[in-house]
Amino acid sequence: MTATVRLTPRPLSVGAAWKALETDGAGGVVVFAGRVRPDPGPTGRVTAIVYEAHAAPAIARFRALARIAERRFGARRTVLWHRVGRVPVGTVSVIVGAACAHRAAAFAAARYLIEALKASVPIWKEERGRSARRPRRRPSPRGARSAG
Amino acid sequence: MPKPIRILLFSSARTVVGRAELAWTVPSEGTPAATIARDLARTYPALARTLSASRLVRNGRYLRSPTERVRPGDELAIHPPYGGG
Repeated sequence: MTATVRLTPRPLSVGAAWKALETDGAGGVVVFAGRVRPDPGPTGRVTAIVYEAHAAPAIARFRALARIAERRFGARRTVLWHRVGRVPVGTVSVIVGAACAHRAAAFAAARYLIEALKASVPIWKEERGRSARRPRRRPSPRGARSAG
Repeated sequence: MPKPIRILLFSSARTVVGRAELAWTVPSEGTPAATIARDLARTYPALARTLSASRLVRNGRYLRSPTERVRPGDELAIHPPYGGG
């Protein structure tokens, strides 16, 4: 199994993720991309989210999730990519994907990867709004509204 | 003189303390992580609530137990609830 994991300040490409998931024998490929949404909030309409990560544990956790996807869903290839730094509204902040033998497993694996990423990878977000008031943190995955 | 530990603060923990990193002195035989968390909450009362919801990471690995000892030169990270995606 091949997993590509990435924490980067650079833009994420769905096309590049699709390419990273190419493999013979995978009849189902699912790519999920989460984008920053312009939700209204106490700081005014969100214009961007600033992401920070504890890099080494985050990468280790990405790899652990990829191994679980392989074991549980038979994923042949996976991608787990996340932006860090300022990500403007409308921009992709996260991509996960899985290539499996069949579609049901691919959907299940991708769903698992995004849910587990949000709950268990040391990445945090802080909204930036149009108002000049203090930024509002999104303290928990339950409060997250940016990725689907 | 033992080397201090580095305490890394992320997200809400950094906000309430006002710094991303602290140097913290522990004895040469080390101190249980839970004791360090308790002392941090005494020094920074506003951090207590965040600490109670945080995971502790020693040298890049999640603590197996709050009694795990943190020794001079170690790095201890405070992870408030995650919010990626």
